[in-house]
Amino acid sequence: MIPSPASSSSGSRKRRMKRGQKAQPATKWRTAAQERVYGRRLLEALRTTAALGPRAVKEAADSALALTARGRSRWSRAILLRTGRKIRRGRRRARAAEAAGGRVRGRLRVLRRLVPGCRNLSAGSLLEEAADYVAALEMQVKAMRALADALSAAPEAAAASEPGSRGGV
Amino acid sequence: MGPARSSGVGSGNSGAYTTEIAESLRFEEEIHSIVHPSLDSSPAAGGSFTALLGLPANQAVELLHETGPSEAPSSAAAPSPTGELWRLRLGEHAAGPLHLPLGCSPTFPSNAALVERAARFSVFAAEDSPELSSGGGPSPRLKAEPPDSDSPPPLPIPTEKTQRPAKRKECEKSKAKGPAKKSKSAEENTVAAPKETAAENTDGEKLPYVHVRARRGQATDSHSLAERARREKINARMKLLQELVPGCSKITGTALVLDEIINHVQSLQRQVEFLSMRLAAVNPRIDFGGLDGFLLAECGPLATANGRGGVALDPALWSSHPVTANGARWLPQPQIRHVDVWPTQQSSTAWTRDGAAHPHALLNPGASLFGYDPASSVSLNSNQLKTEL
Repeated sequence: MIPSPASSSSGSRKRRMKRGQKAQPATKWRTAAQERVYGRRLLEALRTTAALGPRAVKEAADSALALTARGRSRWSRAILLRTGRKIRRGRRRARAAEAAGGRVRGRLRVLRRLVPGCRNLSAGSLLEEAADYVAALEMQVKAMRALADALSAAPEAAAASEPGSRGGV
Repeated sequence: MGPARSSGVGSGNSGAYTTEIAESLRFEEEIHSIVHPSLDSSPAAGGSFTALLGLPANQAVELLHETGPSEAPSSAAAPSPTGELWRLRLGEHAAGPLHLPLGCSPTFPSNAALVERAARFSVFAAEDSPELSSGGGPSPRLKAEPPDSDSPPPLPIPTEKTQRPAKRKECEKSKAKGPAKKSKSAEENTVAAPKETAAENTDGEKLPYVHVRARRGQATDSHSLAERARREKINARMKLLQELVPGCSKITGTALVLDEIINHVQSLQRQVEFLSMRLAAVNPRIDFGGLDGFLLAECGPLATANGRGGVALDPALWSSHPVTANGARWLPQPQIRHVDVWPTQQSSTAWTRDGAAHPHALLNPGASLFGYDPASSVSLNSNQLKTEL
């Protein structure tokens, strides 16, 4: 969906009106279908990843997650664009104080830093993105854990049952 | 939504507030139940629909006198039970010729202007239902404006319409608080009413605008209204987040909830990092071809949430897959895939053992080698290769 640059309330409501109600992030990311889609993308990404090491794996996983989001959310677009920019630019800026500006404001600032691509968002849109991001992250963790378990369990099991599998082949 | 419905709108301006309140309650409920079917039929904000009809003060008074027990749209102090009042300052129709007996009487449609208004009102009603409590979308209202510009009371309507979305939000919000504030707001309204009426009468030629009676103890200017709307939106999103993050429903207070959310996001991101480390460690060993089944297994527990199928596959696949299927599948994949990579890997000195190079080449054709756990993988790979060759 193409977002209007100023995600004003009336604008977003108009969009929702035209398309019907937007699905809630919790239900959207928890379907088995989404998990399958992401799992496949994750596998693909891991298979074809050139660089090695945990950081590359994480980036591949994040990109796969962002792809699965189909670019509908701001954070997913920011992640997909991240690969071009963040590689060259390092993290120069030091972490600012989090409690400045009042409790809620300070925490909102921290949240802005945590959710990718939400630096200049208003509070309302930020919370919306954060909800989607949290749901997506949960799914990502679930999928990656399953994959890691499968991968680490498989060779041991296969090695243990070598003769059996040989026979089966 | 027929004209008859829209006619019986607004609270009366009779002397007794109790009757007014009763009338307004009755009719507001009707109308609100129509316009906002999902909302409860709580005592509605009084004057919102008087604004819709756009009747001037004197006309309202006339109507009141004509229709005894029935409702009359009020423009002057119409004390809404919820304390919110919609009023029009009308310049142009001080001489408005509306002499309608209002209420649900059949004579209502006789007045062309009111029919028009009713039609507009129904337009609004139809357009309101999709956006119940949002109050957004001024465009449908704005679109309805041009056709009405020719009608006798044209001016108040456009301005009122543009302000209506925000006001309607207020209206709905205050509706929820209605019963509690009835008496207080009634008194408030009585006090302020004469002042407003006087102001209305004096500004005969000015452009009309809508007075909004805010909730008790709150400001009424457009800034605070917009801010209130914004706050409502933010609270709604916070509620969503609270449901998403486990353990947040009990916490009251925005700051603490935000704290919890931040902690949750950070913990999730850390988990992703740890898992990616695990995956990176595991990566070189395993051929990914045999893992298509892990998705099905993973979807099993998830699918229970949806009640979908695939659960049946779960235990069987999960247990059998690593044992047999993976082992079986590992064999064909290397053969198919990396005949081309094979020669390059053979040349590297680190990969003296052919078996070791093979699955790794699958993952990183031409890439540099990296350390991995040789014990389990090498034996496995060599076994594989033995059978292949």
